[in-house]
Amino acid sequence: MNNTDFQIAICGSAGDGTIAAGDVMKRAMARAGFKVIAFDIYPPEIRGFGKCIARIRVTTEQVYSLKHHSDILVSLNDSHAIPHVPEVGRYGAVIYDQSAIAAVAEGEHISGHVQPDHLPYSLPLREISEQTTGSARSRNIVVLGYVAGLYDLPKDAFHDIIQEKFGRKAASIVESNIKAFEAGYALGADTFKLDFIQVGKPADKVNGNQVVMMTGNAAVVRGSLDAGLDAYFGYPITPATSIMEMLATELPKRGGRLLQTEDEIAALAATVGAGYAGARAATATSGPGLALMVEMLGLGVMAEVPSVIFVSQRGGPSTGMPTKTEQSDLHLAVFGGAGDCQRIVMAPTNVEGAYRCAGKAFEMAEKYQTPVIVLLDLYLSNRYETVILPKVNPFEPDSSKGRSASDPNKPYQRFAATDDHISPRAVPGEDGAIHTVTGLEHNELGRPNDQPDNHVRMSDKRHLKLQQALSHPGITIHKRFGDEGPVDVGILGWGSTFGEILEAMFLAREEGIRCSAMKAVMLSPLPVEPIKAFFDDCGAVLVPELNYEGQFANLVMSQIGRPVTRLNRVPGVPMKVSDILDEIRMLAERNRAVAAE
Amino acid sequence: MADLREPVYLENKLAEVRDSGRLDYRSKSLPTWCPGCGYFSVAEGVTKALNDLHIANKDVTVVSGIGCASRFPFFTDTYGFHTLHGRTLPVATGIKVANDDLTVIVVGGDGDAFAIGGGHIPHAARRNVDITYLLFDNGIYGLTKGQTSPTSVHGFKTGTSPFENQDQPLNPLMMLLSYGSSWVGQAYAGEPHHLADMIAKAVTHRGFSYLHILSPCVTFDKTSMTYSNLNMMVRDLPENHDTSDMMAAMKEAATVDHPALGVFYEEARPTLADGFDEIIRRAQGRAAGPAAVAAE
Amino acid sequence: MAASQHYVIIGNGVAGNEAASCLRAQDKDSRITLITAGRLLFYNRYELPRIFHEECDWRDFLVHEPEYYADNHIDVRRNSFVTSVDSAGKTLTLAHKESLAYDQLLVASGGGSYLPEELVESRHLLDHFNTYRAARKVEQSLPPGGRVVMLGGDVLGLDLARNLVWEDYKVTLVAADQTFWPHRPDEETRAKFLKVLEDMGMEIIDGVRPIRVEEGGKGMSARKVVLQDGRELFADVVMPFYGLSPSVDFMLGSGVDIERGLLVNPQLRTTDSSIWAAGDVCQIWSAEENSYRFYYGWKNVKHMGEIAARNMMGEDVEVDTHPDEGLRVNDKGELDSPFWEYD
Repeated sequence: MNNTDFQIAICGSAGDGTIAAGDVMKRAMARAGFKVIAFDIYPPEIRGFGKCIARIRVTTEQVYSLKHHSDILVSLNDSHAIPHVPEVGRYGAVIYDQSAIAAVAEGEHISGHVQPDHLPYSLPLREISEQTTGSARSRNIVVLGYVAGLYDLPKDAFHDIIQEKFGRKAASIVESNIKAFEAGYALGADTFKLDFIQVGKPADKVNGNQVVMMTGNAAVVRGSLDAGLDAYFGYPITPATSIMEMLATELPKRGGRLLQTEDEIAALAATVGAGYAGARAATATSGPGLALMVEMLGLGVMAEVPSVIFVSQRGGPSTGMPTKTEQSDLHLAVFGGAGDCQRIVMAPTNVEGAYRCAGKAFEMAEKYQTPVIVLLDLYLSNRYETVILPKVNPFEPDSSKGRSASDPNKPYQRFAATDDHISPRAVPGEDGAIHTVTGLEHNELGRPNDQPDNHVRMSDKRHLKLQQALSHPGITIHKRFGDEGPVDVGILGWGSTFGEILEAMFLAREEGIRCSAMKAVMLSPLPVEPIKAFFDDCGAVLVPELNYEGQFANLVMSQIGRPVTRLNRVPGVPMKVSDILDEIRMLAERNRAVAAE
Repeated sequence: MADLREPVYLENKLAEVRDSGRLDYRSKSLPTWCPGCGYFSVAEGVTKALNDLHIANKDVTVVSGIGCASRFPFFTDTYGFHTLHGRTLPVATGIKVANDDLTVIVVGGDGDAFAIGGGHIPHAARRNVDITYLLFDNGIYGLTKGQTSPTSVHGFKTGTSPFENQDQPLNPLMMLLSYGSSWVGQAYAGEPHHLADMIAKAVTHRGFSYLHILSPCVTFDKTSMTYSNLNMMVRDLPENHDTSDMMAAMKEAATVDHPALGVFYEEARPTLADGFDEIIRRAQGRAAGPAAVAAE
Repeated sequence: MAASQHYVIIGNGVAGNEAASCLRAQDKDSRITLITAGRLLFYNRYELPRIFHEECDWRDFLVHEPEYYADNHIDVRRNSFVTSVDSAGKTLTLAHKESLAYDQLLVASGGGSYLPEELVESRHLLDHFNTYRAARKVEQSLPPGGRVVMLGGDVLGLDLARNLVWEDYKVTLVAADQTFWPHRPDEETRAKFLKVLEDMGMEIIDGVRPIRVEEGGKGMSARKVVLQDGRELFADVVMPFYGLSPSVDFMLGSGVDIERGLLVNPQLRTTDSSIWAAGDVCQIWSAEENSYRFYYGWKNVKHMGEIAARNMMGEDVEVDTHPDEGLRVNDKGELDSPFWEYD
């Protein structure tokens, strides 16, 4: 048995070290060579005792999302963990502290909520922590040790990570955490294992490429740096802030510049200014920030200035739910703005995709002289995955169609008509190419011009040039998975929910349902032809997304002109695989019934 | 005001202008402003200053927003970015972050700056972005044919204030001084030579320079900031004014009935680009490498 | 009977589960909570010897699928430890300091194996067969044809012993006073039964007490039993079967009468009107014998579970204190006992 696939959920309140325990767990498993997907849920309060959950899925084979069911639930705070007991799968483990400090009222202890098909592990966590470290604060590490011991997880990796994580503080803290871990480990190793979690050997590292564990936001940072980001402008907003924080450390090391602006309007304005002056520049925000940036987005489109905007969606509208995930800014990202102002919008579906989209966004912005939005969401921004990064930097350092592409014997025209609708672009400081760009409609020279034929010609230019992004080299714009040829059910998805879609699709195929899933990474311009071909093959097309209005379904229906079945959920947390699976079953049945008639 | 003691002949004047080289900074587009507009003086002043300072056209970028002043870049033969209403300063900041070698001149009117764009001014000033901000103050919205602006006087009657403006006007000079602008001056379109001189000083200043230019709107303002009124009101700063004395500058700026012309305040302090150099020096002093990011 | 009682049952064995299922069969509305120290749902200990010849895990021994408990609204609180019972306040307290109120309490906590004093220090080297975990450990410790030294040899042990012999393991029985417990055969019968066991393939050592158990040492079997006369017996597994002692620690201080087990009348009521007992934990008053005595074996225990449940719901029924429980030699010439029967 070499196939590891288990998911642990650690639930506690903010003071219990819940997220820290999850962090040690996921890093240790990644260090040991396993594939990891992890997603933490925090309370919105800055301080206090709100609920925290760290969920970590550990596998040997590539998987695409967290599982709907966890195999192990660790409770560090029963009142928070009790509602999550039902997420533990059949014969999964519920691990909790039996050493209460004070009397517990009937029904308030988790042991009373463990379901008949769960395995309870009642442990003296507090006592062990106090005995080994002198304080109850290491309960989180004791229980980690217990889990590691129980499932025979690689101990050295945990030691390494505890050393790294707490080493910055003090040697005594490392030492006491190691002691706490060891005490838990000993108890776990000595516990008779009843559940069916198998931990095999992780896969060997992949042919010299780099395997790292990172969040979606860290992947954005890494992709941006690899693409040669020169300047970053931003305004803090959950859940995009960590992009700016990571860049604040890393960008100046490479000689780049980062400025915290006074608001999101200024952030994109400065990004466009820097893009105009020839830099690779970017900003990152969330829906409310993007709403403020929309006018500048229009200017970028009109003046044909490159810029890259990373948008990590959260629950909306308005201030909405800052610490919850949602996919409800698609309309804004694709359509937001005055006039016909198409821009490129890409939505990666996983952390590796976030890296690639981030880097490619700079190439595209520069090549097609346009704003490029990379649309993430809180779930993708904050979740950890182990990813394989290419050995060789996959991004072009300069994809600009420069001044040299134009005829030197003719006067320079910033917006010259060309076959590919992309005009050679000069930037300030270049000789012989002085020009002014403007948010006004303009002619080839960039002079204001509102004549009918001019506006028609320029509207054409601005839209047609973007079509080439659909065949931009080195990036997957769309991809189909699962059964080939005609299928009963096709699932068309975008963004982070595609992980759940794939899991559901694979489960449906195991049940014998003919189905396949297609992801659209580029949402604007939409890869219309491949999506049409997908529709041709599918008895029914399901579009699951985390928004109320079915924004992607709307986009697809308006451009493909065929009906879809919508699956919309707005719980603020990732979509349940089981919800998608139920819908696939229903559609498959309906499709078979129709076929039988 | 300089009195015309000698007759001026058009041919002579044209020859003088042509020979000066100033026309190299003018584009072939003719300004769209109304005859008599104060902005002509500013355009003249900019071309003269750039010419006098020997700055190559290709190294200058003029950034404008929306309003009568915003067409300015089309009339200069430099790089230009005609941006959005109120957003000149952040765009200009981005340009300077990308390429600190460029001379960036931001032009805008009182509405563009202090109404819609008011939130950006303190930040460009405090960061000491090395740009020159030429503020064309005519106390009215001219492009939209005459509405009140944040610098319109109390009691001003316009299309949007038919029963007279009840708001107090801002005092931009005091604002800029308190924002930390490292160079603050005032000029008047009715005194073009002084204006050109002030523009040259502002451009020369290393850091954020704010030049407030009183510039009558001859079409929509017949009562308030007219040439005849301003001619009577303006004065020179006292000869002994100490440009390093913030409180003295504040006091002069507070005198709105008799606007003073000249340099109110100047100080030499690190620019935004200097700050970046320092950050980069510190960051590179630390152990660099992709590992730190990868680990996240 | 008042509606909607809370029946709490301590113990997850045959008696407790039989009681729970009887209660639910006749009372759809009342709350039933079953508390057990173990981690598993009710499983059939009598089937555990299957471990030796079948690919199986604990799921194969479950008497009911997990859904049974959900469907029947029986709360099973596993891995929970009752620390005390307050009969006056009708509450019990669990180790994690949660208190639970009951209307009727059934104690069916069974018994732990009794260990003679001289073997207490060797406890960590002894194996049992009373839980799935223990059984799995025995199975893993025994190589094919491996040797088990069984100390004592009560009827539970003998049941296992015959299974081990059938599976071609070697069994050495160190007989003691408790051999055949709870039966107390006279000298003659005892000798006859020992002979039968010998004929079944066991090695019998009688008349000498074990004084300690040691690790076997390098290159030897895992265990060594040292007998009083200096003899040493080597084995892969050493198992004590000296009869059961009721698990009643948590009932001390509850106010009900305890001798060795909980003392109950033939209706299985203890000296507290809301507390009942069934199975290996209780001693039942026998009018004929004019004493309290234990009744063991699957059939008896199951019967007690049912009687206790019915009385808890207001009936007035007595346990049958005349079960057929004698040891006998069956047609194949093997020792047999009604204790070993179950369906």
